[in-house]
Amino acid sequence: MIILSSVSKFFGQKKAVDNISFKTKEGEIIGFLGPNGAGKTTTMRLILGYLKPDVGKININGFNPVDNRINVLKQTGYLPENNPLYLDMRVFEYLSFVACAKNEKNWQNIAKEVGLLEVLNKKIEELSRGFKQRVGLAASLFGNPKYLVLDEPTSGLDPLEQEKIRSLIKKLGQKKTIIFSTHILSEVEAVANRLIIIHKGKIVYDGKKPKEKGGVEKLFKLKVKN
Amino acid sequence: MKNLIKKEVSHYLNNPLGYIVIILFGIFANLFFVKDLFVVGSASLRPFFLLLPWFLLVFIPAVSMRAFSEEKRNNTIEVLLTLPYLETQIVLAKFFAVLTVFIIALSLTLSLPFSLFLLTKIYLPEILIGYLGTLFLGASFSAISLFFSSQTKNQVVAFLLSVITLFFLLVLGSDFLASYLPKIVQEFFVPFSPFYHFQNFIKGVFDFRSLFYFSSFVFLFLFLTVLELEKRN
Repeated sequence: MIILSSVSKFFGQKKAVDNISFKTKEGEIIGFLGPNGAGKTTTMRLILGYLKPDVGKININGFNPVDNRINVLKQTGYLPENNPLYLDMRVFEYLSFVACAKNEKNWQNIAKEVGLLEVLNKKIEELSRGFKQRVGLAASLFGNPKYLVLDEPTSGLDPLEQEKIRSLIKKLGQKKTIIFSTHILSEVEAVANRLIIIHKGKIVYDGKKPKEKGGVEKLFKLKVKN
Repeated sequence: MKNLIKKEVSHYLNNPLGYIVIILFGIFANLFFVKDLFVVGSASLRPFFLLLPWFLLVFIPAVSMRAFSEEKRNNTIEVLLTLPYLETQIVLAKFFAVLTVFIIALSLTLSLPFSLFLLTKIYLPEILIGYLGTLFLGASFSAISLFFSSQTKNQVVAFLLSVITLFFLLVLGSDFLASYLPKIVQEFFVPFSPFYHFQNFIKGVFDFRSLFYFSSFVFLFLFLTVLELEKRN
């Protein structure tokens, strides 16, 4: 279970995350929505222990990411924003490096499942954006993490690739708790079963996703306007 | 940590720049020694060891400059820091990788003692201690260069900061500056120079004070690098 209790994070004078609290349940796919600079990425980095909260507490399955970052990272897969990768490495080199770090013996099976077999020998810099995204996603699945934190997993992909990634998230959501951020409202409608809207560092909505078509968009506009 | 070191070393060796820097180091180091041997007529490795710190002044920052700055620029540092590795492990892996590249480059100079051995009588312990001193000197240069690499996203800035600082530290222990400084100032500052401690090794003296100096130097800058990584700037 991921628990955030009254968490705030400052960058200088700016409050990037302002007193946010939420708790995840097993098997949830949480769509994390918000305009640019709302605090989505900062919240995700706080969950991972990449950043330390200035106020509040975070608990990931019994571990505090500030004191037990390694234990948190062993059970959390992460796809960072813009999917930074070592471009000069070959796909298999990168995947085997991450697999070794996360103690994943069957990384080839995951690579196969994500559709990377045909590009394993290619340099990452030669890959299309879609394949690069799959590399990042495959790496986030290594070590069989309980939680997946995906920062804009479909950003910059063509509609076909977006659809593939969404299907994959849905499939993974049957076994794992997933938090994913996105700007694409229809994506939340298609994939998520819970919606958190963050605006100016504060959570302005946390609940079930509206059932009617276009409901997410209406809710988002309403909450972000206010 | 073996996994991290392997990744870092292959990062250098998969890159043509890594080979260029190593080969250039080998060529220049050998060239200057050959000059001493045949032009000056000195059949000793001392002139070579005396010149080495000035080569390393450029070579080690050139190898280390990208270690953290490139990770920061490309944001792959986020990938690295969200893998289950401690900051200390990451810093040590990068340190050992730079040291490995340095040892590869240094091994290109082994032809020099071998040539001397064929030409004249050599005193092996002196040469071994000289190489050991070079290793310590390289380790301390690597630690300081890694620290500057962790300070900036720009490799050129990291390189320049390292070269300027190392130059200052070397000059501090050289005869050149010593002749300009009052004796009291000189006696206070000179022991802070790596060059001062390296000279003991060149003479074939294994001085534990110098060993302590180099170890403290490495520890201090690696520790500062770990602190910088923990700040997540």
